[in-house]
Amino acid sequence: MMTLWLILTLAALLWYSSVTIYVSYKGASDIREMLARLKQRSPTSDDVKE
Amino acid sequence: MTHFHWLLDGGIIGLYLLVTMAAGIAMRRYVGSLEDYLVAGREMNLHLGIASLAATEFGIITCMYTAQAGYTQGFSGAMPGICQALAMALIGITGFCIKPLRQAGAMTLPEMFEKRFGRNVRWLSGVVIVMGGLLNMGVFLQIGGKFLCTVAGFDLSNLTLIMAALLLMVVVYTVLGGMLSVLVTDFLQFVVMSAGLLVVSMLVLKNVGWDTLVKTVQTHHGVGGFNPLANPSLGWAFLINQFIANAAAALTWQAVIVRILSAKDSQTSQRIYTRTSFFFVCRFLLPGIWGIAALATLGWAPLKQISDAERAAIPASVQEKIAASPAGAPLAGLSAAETAQVPPDTQAKLADASLLAMPRFLSVFLPAGLMGLLIAAMLAADMSTNSSYMLSWGSVIYNDILAPFRRRAWTDRRAILWNRCIVALIGLYLLVFGLFYHIEGNVWSYLLLTGSIYLSSMSVLLIACCYWKRANNWGAIGGILLGAAVPVAHLTLEKLPSTSALAASIGKDVAGIAAFVGAAIGMVVGSLLKPQSRISS
Repeated sequence: MMTLWLILTLAALLWYSSVTIYVSYKGASDIREMLARLKQRSPTSDDVKE
Repeated sequence: MTHFHWLLDGGIIGLYLLVTMAAGIAMRRYVGSLEDYLVAGREMNLHLGIASLAATEFGIITCMYTAQAGYTQGFSGAMPGICQALAMALIGITGFCIKPLRQAGAMTLPEMFEKRFGRNVRWLSGVVIVMGGLLNMGVFLQIGGKFLCTVAGFDLSNLTLIMAALLLMVVVYTVLGGMLSVLVTDFLQFVVMSAGLLVVSMLVLKNVGWDTLVKTVQTHHGVGGFNPLANPSLGWAFLINQFIANAAAALTWQAVIVRILSAKDSQTSQRIYTRTSFFFVCRFLLPGIWGIAALATLGWAPLKQISDAERAAIPASVQEKIAASPAGAPLAGLSAAETAQVPPDTQAKLADASLLAMPRFLSVFLPAGLMGLLIAAMLAADMSTNSSYMLSWGSVIYNDILAPFRRRAWTDRRAILWNRCIVALIGLYLLVFGLFYHIEGNVWSYLLLTGSIYLSSMSVLLIACCYWKRANNWGAIGGILLGAAVPVAHLTLEKLPSTSALAASIGKDVAGIAAFVGAAIGMVVGSLLKPQSRISS
């Protein structure tokens, strides 16, 4: 049981480190793309008319 | 004495806050429609979804209760995270419920229910979701404030000020930019939070050492610290409740499913679930190790939590029993008469001993500089959770509870204004609730119980809505009423002095499972009772 927790702890550290680096890089491009699409698609809040 | 350094650590925290606030507020100009405000125009892609979901589902409160679980239950305290990861992975792989949910194109769960169960069910679902969600979220601010006070070495009398400052920052950018601000700040917060979590965890393992952690768990918890089934405070009821409740949360928790609803398509939403699933193991296990390290380093000394004057007010024999109590349960060995000899305020402080052990440990364990990173990480975690939760419950209030009052469609500008006001009011509620409510016992169990007010009924309604043709509005109302009645009754019993012993003997896990069973019975019986003629009409 102790070995299982040790393996799980090491797996958690390894997986989380890799995901943090990968998602930090890819997430930034996701934001840029999302904002570009929103800018193209709709008027800004200042332009919204009643 | 804390290692918090005002210039170095304060500078790191100030820089983090400045960047987050600027990014959050800048999103305001991209909000053109209600859909942009509530679900980011459904333009969210995979990696942003993963960052946002992970950041939302890890707040200071998460760190506090998972560390408390490690402190009081050893490694077995991480089992809820494993249950949650399994549930998320299964749902992500199969698309169970979340695929039809995304394809329905609704902005909230009750909106989807209206198509199948009618307007009344939509309204009632909205009320139940908001009631359960706000009760659940009500304690976030108080616990976040306690963590920050303890780690930075501030007196707990500053709690109100810390809570108000935390809240104000989050409310400002959430009110202005809605889901777009939430997503962008979530991303920044994910990076900072993850860096802090990883660095602190590695430092704990390096300096405290794995062998010391294992030995501490063995000494204080025995086999039960490694095997949840051998732990008297866990067992099968706990595990079953964890799996069911976590699966239900993955299906219906508005703050979670808003990522499904904001995703580009149903395939993206499934991938967000699958790829985030293992994060839920990390979110329980890593802070859990901090909790075990706190026990290893500081030991279990509940009487140190109270002042000399408060200690002197407790009879010596009672003090001896408190000192010899098992880790995390200072009043466990006392009879009712002995417990009555401990003033209520002192009882509350003693009960907080396991909750505050981890921040106390970190305040002396981390060097200056890393302390700033930790606090920035925890602020990031808390702000992302609070902003997302406020927007989630606000969207249900606007979209579903206020729906009957909108006879004609509102303009986007008016709708966004209303949503902004609702989010601001939720912020005010959080401050008031956080000031006056005190949690009894384990924080995670409280969260699960208050969450099950709606998790039980809403998950049953969603499953029936997606996969049972015979389900109808009678069943939906039966499911909502029975599902909410059980946890509300249990919370009430717990708060009344005359029935608190009964509530304790039932236990939060059994009450949680009973809520799901009740909701399912309500749905099946109600649906079958409705005459076929009325269904066809």
